[in-house]
Amino acid sequence: MNTTTSHKVSSTLHKVPPKKGSLWLRKGNKIAPYFFISPFFIIFGVFGLFPLLFSLYLSFHYWEPAAGLSAMEWVGLENYVFALQDEWFQKSIYNTVVIALKSGIPQHVVAIPLAFFIHTSFTRWRNTVIGVYFVPYITSTVAISLVFTTLFSRDFGMVNQVLTSLGNFTVADIHVLSWIFPVNNVDWARPEYTKDMISFVVFWRYVGWNTVLYLSALQTIPKDLYEAAIIDGANRYQQFWYVTLPLLKPMAFFAVTLTIIGNLQLFEEPFIITGGTGGIDQAGKTAAMHMYLTAFVESDFGTASAISWILFMMIAGLTWMNHKLLGGSNEE
Amino acid sequence: MSNLIKKDKVIAYVVVSLGAVIMLAPFYFMFVFASHSNSGILSVPPPIFFGDYIVENFNTLIDFLPYFWHNIGLSLFVAVVTTILNLLFCSLAGYAFAMFDFKFKNFLFVGIMATMLLPPFLGMIPTAMIMSQIGWMNDPKALIIPAACGAMGIFMMRQFIASAIPKELVEAARMDGCREFKIYYRVVIPLITPAFGTLGLITFIGSWNNFMGPLVVMNDMKMFTIPLALRALQGTGQIPWGAVAIGAAIAVLPLLFLFVIASRRLIDGLTAGAVKG
Amino acid sequence: MITFKKTVVFSTLCAALISNAANAEQVEITVASFPNFNQVAEAAVPLFEKIHPEIKVKIVSTAYMDHHNAMTTALATGANLPDVMSIEANYIGRLAQSGGLEPLNVAPYNANEFYQKITPFTLAQGSDSDGNLRAMPADIGPGSLFYRKDILDKSGVTQEELIKNWDSFIDAGIKVKEKTGDYLLANAVDIKDIYIRANLKDGEGVYFDKDHNILVNSPRFKEAFRLSKKARMAGIDAKVSPWTNEWTEGLKRGTISVQMMGAWLGGHLQDWIAPDATGLWRSTQLPNGALASWGGSFYAIPVKAKHKPEAWEFIKFMSTTKEIQLLGMKEINAFPALIEAQDDPFFEEKLPYLGNQQARLAWKETAMKIPSVSMDRYDEVARQIVSDALEKVLEHDADIDTVLADAVKQIKRKARRR
Repeated sequence: MNTTTSHKVSSTLHKVPPKKGSLWLRKGNKIAPYFFISPFFIIFGVFGLFPLLFSLYLSFHYWEPAAGLSAMEWVGLENYVFALQDEWFQKSIYNTVVIALKSGIPQHVVAIPLAFFIHTSFTRWRNTVIGVYFVPYITSTVAISLVFTTLFSRDFGMVNQVLTSLGNFTVADIHVLSWIFPVNNVDWARPEYTKDMISFVVFWRYVGWNTVLYLSALQTIPKDLYEAAIIDGANRYQQFWYVTLPLLKPMAFFAVTLTIIGNLQLFEEPFIITGGTGGIDQAGKTAAMHMYLTAFVESDFGTASAISWILFMMIAGLTWMNHKLLGGSNEE
Repeated sequence: MSNLIKKDKVIAYVVVSLGAVIMLAPFYFMFVFASHSNSGILSVPPPIFFGDYIVENFNTLIDFLPYFWHNIGLSLFVAVVTTILNLLFCSLAGYAFAMFDFKFKNFLFVGIMATMLLPPFLGMIPTAMIMSQIGWMNDPKALIIPAACGAMGIFMMRQFIASAIPKELVEAARMDGCREFKIYYRVVIPLITPAFGTLGLITFIGSWNNFMGPLVVMNDMKMFTIPLALRALQGTGQIPWGAVAIGAAIAVLPLLFLFVIASRRLIDGLTAGAVKG
Repeated sequence: MITFKKTVVFSTLCAALISNAANAEQVEITVASFPNFNQVAEAAVPLFEKIHPEIKVKIVSTAYMDHHNAMTTALATGANLPDVMSIEANYIGRLAQSGGLEPLNVAPYNANEFYQKITPFTLAQGSDSDGNLRAMPADIGPGSLFYRKDILDKSGVTQEELIKNWDSFIDAGIKVKEKTGDYLLANAVDIKDIYIRANLKDGEGVYFDKDHNILVNSPRFKEAFRLSKKARMAGIDAKVSPWTNEWTEGLKRGTISVQMMGAWLGGHLQDWIAPDATGLWRSTQLPNGALASWGGSFYAIPVKAKHKPEAWEFIKFMSTTKEIQLLGMKEINAFPALIEAQDDPFFEEKLPYLGNQQARLAWKETAMKIPSVSMDRYDEVARQIVSDALEKVLEHDADIDTVLADAVKQIKRKARRR
């Protein structure tokens, strides 16, 4: 249509004859994408890949770090074997899984209906409500975990104040809520409660994030699908169940993947909440923390590297399984 | 039937409001604690209204963290520069993956996505070694450059560009003889500002809150970022909770402010691209 | 007060100034430290720089745990190493055994010249298994028992009953609980911590002997576990961990009436934990004549440090100058490792906070009697395993013999590389 004008534009802009220009364009077209993606690979190569390869190398060595780099000793798979048989590692995996489930499942179970409800029932307050739920995600983990340690304090914490006052709520001299709420202060630092405390902080932080992800997916669902469903006589729940949920699957795949990855790498919340120790009986020590402590408390960087690679394989495996489970059928 | 749904709706509104209170409570108490003395915070029941100890708490904070303002400034600098670089690099890469066909495209994309699975401190020790080899210890560069282009950002940008920009538009510009980079900043950038808003916010927040990174490369209190500085308060036997709260409040306030003015943009940005596509 | 202190220190050291007159080039040394140990160095630096105008001192300080982790990383990478490394007692075993620190007892440092002047047990702490001194002691923590006299009086418990032996200690706790409702202990775990450290033979370690044999499955640990369990069953501990809010508030409000810790706790009680309790607290020996050390700080020079001679000058200044050692005590209640400093009249002062006791003299006496305990690089690992084992006994009623045998197995596995 406007080839002539375009040639004029290109020649005035680049001061090259049109024919050469198009040749350059064709070539440029081939090089350009590589050029555009090169910053990632340069940065990743220097600050990502090299350290990774080094840590892989390290994972097959015993290294007394304070004695310098020369003190490395090849041990083969010994670090991996040791890590897998180590009670501390097993315990940290158990902790991680429990925290991941206790914080992850509620995140999605709450986020999907919440997103649906916000999407369908809020107009004027919509953004405020989303904002309120989303705001924990943007706060500094360190800062807010420090606040939470005060809130979860056994004798002086607001959490126990609220819970025990609910537990002691009486109707006709009967503690009607005591079957669900505690009557006495809960010592959240005790091994049996540490994971609950951490899970709550994680849930609190990410539920809004997931809600926003689901909201964005809800907006892609064409209105006429609902209209068709309404014509077919579907009520709200049926719409939610038969229209919304199936169409949320791709987003659920994305969001659940992020949750899995995030949880297996969980470090800052348990680190700050347990003061860097993992808590009594290591009950709040996640796998990522175990790796950190193996490196820095035990100075065993070889084993720590092996642990990090085991963790990586677990993350990759779980993500793949999740992909099969949730994402598989929806692939285009 | 509709009556039942109405009742359910009221219940849902109540539950959503209660949830909102739980979401906001920690922030509220952070500000309340910031205005109370240590013994005030540690009393039964804990304070629920504001006190008058805010100046003392602030002085305590400066006592414990003499470089606090420098720490804030450094955090801001690192976050802003990291964000700008991410917007540039991620949108370029996202554009390439969304609009071009080239050899190894899928392979490279999967490779980039795979880096998201890597636990962040897999390479902690070697990273520290590199940083010291090139003299970047206690240098903001050590935080900015490695974070200048993330896989997550590339993914977001690719998704957004693929859905928000019709391929024909780029083709047309190409037919018009525009060079690739020119297409990028004349055609692509104007159309992806919502994604810029979202990615920018996410990157800024991520950098501002980053804890593991500075923990390895910053060991001079003056060069601490805010999370490190706050964490330093925990390492002393006597934890000044009021000062911790005021420090946390100062660290969180810029984020809250940013969120209040840009939350629409963030949420719209996340959703708009998908809607258009 | 502080200015006065500094003037005194300054004038006593003025003489040295003349010998070290105008030197051509100034060297900057970095001292890595942690709160609040860094405060001693910060207070001492102006004085040091006056005597050594050729040396400039830069102090970098990070949180306690982060500091020691950063030091491990620094030793590992050879990067960002300070010239002077501060090390706390909990980490001394692992860092001193690492081989990354200069042996200070040989030339050019010859720290062995100062051995006679330093509290004996702490030299063993700073030494590796070959007997080389890797870290110079700066302050120590002779174990002491602090108690609320008013609460014990109210309960009809005497000091003699309290410390006669461990069983009478627990009985005293039961009395206190009955009469006042207060707890005797913050945590039953404290008894284990003292008991396993107490009355070791010279050269023996807490968890390992000199030849790295594991000592955990021994009568010492069994008895420690038994006593902790007995105290927990008696309900005399508040089940709180040290340095938590509940702990400080418990001590402040007197719901916890006894705390066994390093002598330096007295200063912390007075300064911030319970500043209003003047005259209520007392200090005495640990029960059953137990002798143990709690905490302590050291200075070391990394092998790869850039300015070793200057670093050593600074360490000597901090560790072997009487005035600076006293400065540390006045600034942050750091108990001096230097015997000369312990002989100062300052130690004879009656302490109003402790009901005019001459507590410092008692602590000094304790310090001289504490046996030299050998440190092991796997101490921290063993400590964690033993704590977890005790947790099983206290909370899940596990059998002591079984958990200790299991602990030995675990330690053996963890310490697989000797």
